[in-house]
Amino acid sequence: MPETVENASQQMLRERLPYYVENPPATGLVERFLDAFAAILEHTDYKPLLDSYCRTTNKCNRCSVTCPVYQVTGEARDVPCYKTTLLLQVYQRYFSLGGWMRSQFNTHAFELTEEIILEMADVFYRCTACRRCTLECPMGMDHGLITRLGRYILSLAGISSKALQVSVREQLEGETHNTSKIPKVAMLNTLEFLQEELEDQFGLQVEVPVDKQDRDFVFFCAVSDYLMEPDTLLGNLAVLYAAGDWDRWTIGSCNYDGINYGLFYSDWHLERIIKQLVGEVERLNGKNLLIGECGHASRSAHDFVPVFGGKRPSPVVSFIEYTLDCLRKGKITLNPNIITQKVTYHDPCNIARGGWIVDQPREILKSFVKDYVEMTPGGKLNYCCGGGGGLVSIDEIHDYRMEVGGRKKAEQLIATGADICIAPCANCKKQLKELVEHYEIPCEIMGLHDLILKAIEIPGGKSAEERLEEAQLYAM
Amino acid sequence: MASFEYNGKAVDVDEDGFIEDPSVWNEELAKALAEIEGVTEMSDDHWKIVHYLRDYYKQFGIAPMVRKLCKETDTPLKRIYELYPSGPAKGACKVAGLPKPTGCV
Repeated sequence: MPETVENASQQMLRERLPYYVENPPATGLVERFLDAFAAILEHTDYKPLLDSYCRTTNKCNRCSVTCPVYQVTGEARDVPCYKTTLLLQVYQRYFSLGGWMRSQFNTHAFELTEEIILEMADVFYRCTACRRCTLECPMGMDHGLITRLGRYILSLAGISSKALQVSVREQLEGETHNTSKIPKVAMLNTLEFLQEELEDQFGLQVEVPVDKQDRDFVFFCAVSDYLMEPDTLLGNLAVLYAAGDWDRWTIGSCNYDGINYGLFYSDWHLERIIKQLVGEVERLNGKNLLIGECGHASRSAHDFVPVFGGKRPSPVVSFIEYTLDCLRKGKITLNPNIITQKVTYHDPCNIARGGWIVDQPREILKSFVKDYVEMTPGGKLNYCCGGGGGLVSIDEIHDYRMEVGGRKKAEQLIATGADICIAPCANCKKQLKELVEHYEIPCEIMGLHDLILKAIEIPGGKSAEERLEEAQLYAM
Repeated sequence: MASFEYNGKAVDVDEDGFIEDPSVWNEELAKALAEIEGVTEMSDDHWKIVHYLRDYYKQFGIAPMVRKLCKETDTPLKRIYELYPSGPAKGACKVAGLPKPTGCV
């Protein structure tokens, strides 16, 4: 293969950005950016939003006090409103009449340069899109949305994170149709392994339903759970089985990935990924999408299946809501004598910030955990794990995620003194596990259903106490 | 594209040092990759993990679930981190010549 030599512009881009970019554009970055911006404005509804933001922005900096990144760095580039202004000034100059007229008469008028584009490419990937700043903005601006729009324009201009891009490409155009490239045979083999685990732990012989028609729930987890999180999945299976809903759900073998990185950098991909999920539900004639433990997968499905899911979009149910429903109806029993450690709960931004899933997991946890402690602040006011907005998947910015993005979360976690931190999200779990290792915090990170797995009583299976004894014996 | 040299031969690797073409893998290459991962000598325990990963990859096209790897090779996760300090996904898989894991892994 001939070695391709990159020009000065491409090399500058690589030196300037901390994340890998596939085939950075060789020339015409400014034109590319403006073309992409124009195309997005033509085909979307962003224009009225940007007009409104241009008029209302106060640049009062109240958002800075809420931003976990700014609180650590104190740098101007990390003020949410500053980031938004970078994009708004481009919009005003090139896509509003007033801005264009000013540029005709003012020799010092703003001009977009490569340097400004690179600054945006830097700051929009320092933001974890946690949207904590939206709570404080007196004008109601959503800087997280601007982060996504900025990344969207940049991606069409040729700049996006390689880690996100290769995952989405596999999900939309690859053979496996999922972000972790797990072929169907491997997924089925993993299900067999989980069945063996259920037999070992509970003495139960079950077959996980795959490709069953007409079921109430079609299950989509963060596909990485099939590689990394056996206990989260086993907890999911245990709840479905104990609740007597084993004949009501299925996994689809053509599409089993709830992850949607489109939510982080591309509305176009977001829509295509949602349509893939909906297509799988339609193929199986399922009724609801049941989304596993994952913040952004839950939010993207919850918010966008109604938008892109056709004329009669299927309802979206988060597994946390499903489990709480089973608990309230008395369909599952959680033994309150099993979990004796101090437990805290981390709110994934994507499900908590809008107030959608805040109380439900707490109600579940408090029903069987003796020593539950809140993290402060929590709920809608929570701090991001530091790996939100897709940053957790970008390995090369690990140090940034540890020292900057996740610092506030690490401080919070230490302050709780908890032995176990529940984080019902594949992104958050990965980041928090890296954080506790980095800061040497003696706290175990796990999913909500990992903990439920320990305490659940399954009719016909070994009791939670028996399983605890066996686990203690094994650990000795 | 970056390349990695061992025994005078060059192999294409990605930014993180994962080999681009899993079929060029051999044990000599594994030893050279292991050195980068901070493994000075490949013991039998190291090889057990690598061979299991390769066999599984050949059959299923991806690495196994981490717990399956631990169970089938009878190696606790803690021990895997001792053998491969960067862990099963980023360390052991790299030495075994598997592609870099993608998505939330």
